[in-house]
Amino acid sequence: MKCFAAVALSAALSLYPCASVLALSLHGFVEGAGGFRLKDDPAHVRDATMGEGRLQVELSQVGPADSRLFFKADLIGDGVEERGDADLREFYLDVSPAPVIDIRAGRQILTWGTGDLIFINDLFPKDFVSFFIGRSLEYLKVGSDAVKFSLYPGPFSLDLVAVPHFTPSEVPQGERLSFFNPFTDRIAAPDESLSMRKPAATTANTELALRLYRTFGSYEGALYGFRGFFKEPVGMDPADGTLFYPKLSVYGASMRGPFLQGVASIESGYYDSREDRPGTNPLIENSSLRYLLGYEREIWTDFTVRAQYYLEQMLESGAYKASLPPGAPEKKEVRHLLFLRLTQLLRYQTVELSLVGFYGPSDEDGMVNPQVSCKITDRLSIALGANVFFGKKDFTQFGQLERDDNLYLRLRASY
Amino acid sequence: MAKRCFVWLSAIVLLFPLIGGLFSRALAGTPGEAGEIMRRSALVQFYSGNDMRAKVTMRLLSKEGGERVRELIMTRRNVKAGGDQKYFLLFRQPADVRDMTFLVWKYPQKDSDRWLYIPAIKLVKRIAANDKRSSFVGSDFSYEDVSGRAAEEDNHTLLREEKYGGKEVLVIKSVPKDGKNADFGYKVSWIDKGNFVLWKEEYYDKRGALFKVFTADEVKPIQGFPTTVKRTMKNVQTGHWTEAAYGEVRYNLGLTDGVFSERSLRNPPKELAR
Repeated sequence: MKCFAAVALSAALSLYPCASVLALSLHGFVEGAGGFRLKDDPAHVRDATMGEGRLQVELSQVGPADSRLFFKADLIGDGVEERGDADLREFYLDVSPAPVIDIRAGRQILTWGTGDLIFINDLFPKDFVSFFIGRSLEYLKVGSDAVKFSLYPGPFSLDLVAVPHFTPSEVPQGERLSFFNPFTDRIAAPDESLSMRKPAATTANTELALRLYRTFGSYEGALYGFRGFFKEPVGMDPADGTLFYPKLSVYGASMRGPFLQGVASIESGYYDSREDRPGTNPLIENSSLRYLLGYEREIWTDFTVRAQYYLEQMLESGAYKASLPPGAPEKKEVRHLLFLRLTQLLRYQTVELSLVGFYGPSDEDGMVNPQVSCKITDRLSIALGANVFFGKKDFTQFGQLERDDNLYLRLRASY
Repeated sequence: MAKRCFVWLSAIVLLFPLIGGLFSRALAGTPGEAGEIMRRSALVQFYSGNDMRAKVTMRLLSKEGGERVRELIMTRRNVKAGGDQKYFLLFRQPADVRDMTFLVWKYPQKDSDRWLYIPAIKLVKRIAANDKRSSFVGSDFSYEDVSGRAAEEDNHTLLREEKYGGKEVLVIKSVPKDGKNADFGYKVSWIDKGNFVLWKEEYYDKRGALFKVFTADEVKPIQGFPTTVKRTMKNVQTGHWTEAAYGEVRYNLGLTDGVFSERSLRNPPKELAR
């Protein structure tokens, strides 16, 4: 796939001189990004968390009968992993065989739900490593190789996604960020790695995701369904020392609309961990109920505050506790997470000051991400920020990153 | 005696136009009539046709010589003339907002519903939008300047009639009924007596100092609707200004309500994107 991306990318670049003749839309950017650690980390030899040059090429071609072909790929020179890379971000075909049907087939980024950096019913792959080291927001999402059917029969709309080829979320695995090794119950040492086993690409393993939605006046309501696998490796196989992605079904709902001069949202989901329904296997994540409340409001001109409260309640926690081997780190039955985002735009919206914070009172961990970004001209932009993690325990989401505090800088020129 | 009579008569004759003038000015100054003019002007500015589509090019200019360009396709549909409207915007320039789409359901009497779609992560975001005076895409135009401010939100007084650029205009002062709902203390509008086109508008801040000036630089009839195809908003306090050109303007395209939906945000209809 990478080879294909590289070849397609060079082909796309060679088209540049004749783009206007072919009525092709050709755009992209060149970006340099660097980041380094603010603390010494025994688990890492390098001080750099990021050091890369990127060329992104985006090509769009409108075809007959309202069809469209879209291609987006990155060529990357990576100084941290010391290699060149090609990343096919998106490559899909849009067709509308009937006025009430849209079909998108190919590698595509999929997003839905009401959360800001917290996801319940959006079970499409994410790249948390990119987020934690300070890449731009677009790298938080990873493309899925999927077919999406969108139906608009009338008062409501329906999205149906089939993902035949499983793509996991990117989680810290030691190259740039520390991770907690659940087999050894400690932060992994340098060069220690975990093998992860993806579900086989079989028909039975095809993931299905569904969203049924409509508006009620100013309010948007949605129902969600998902049948597939956890996107994070929350299953352990002690037989061969690998982590895996257990089977998962999710049923959820969300509502969003105006509230007290702002926008409020609520989302919930029932996570059915199909490989450990009774909760007696401590090596597989239990089923859970998850809730997310969000509220956003513009307090004064160009200053916006967003607050979120997330709650995750483990089901069958009694069985989980009873099955846990003595001395193993114990997850709490209820996990809370508070989220705050402050954004101030200045100088005709060309300068953005933002502060994003997570705090988990139950896990006693969290992170803070202040960032200043500036559009120097319409084509040139710069962003400077930091990610600071804290946590008392090594096995929590942010606690394992406690020594990975980093400062980053990105400079991008778009064309 | 005759002399005294003559003086009185002359005084009355001389004063009559003055008194009459004052009287008629007092009549003209009734808020009802000025309010009606502002209402009709808003209909011409923001409600012409059942729907409208235009390619809007904004040049954001600073006194230091900096220039930024915003290019977007704006589509509008009236749900009710003078009332609710829906807007769909597709950004073409600059690069960092290209292909972003923006949907607004506007209600004159309450906060608009706004959605922004960020194509790089395929995210439909709901925008908290209680501030109608905030800048539209970083320009000197506010959201309200682009989509209209309900005439009912201000008290209006006709100040005078005069000539502006060879046109007979009505000069109207408007003071917000609720000061918290506006970023200006008052505004003065120059409105064409013949077709209610807004030729000029001055915004004064809450201390009474002039801070923003709107001018219609070119108005031409399109499908029978007088259309402001070139306009400028200048911030006289910062020296920053924005020139907006409305090209390829078409009215009454027969757009349906379905165009102004999440489907269009995620996948803009070709007839609007082209």
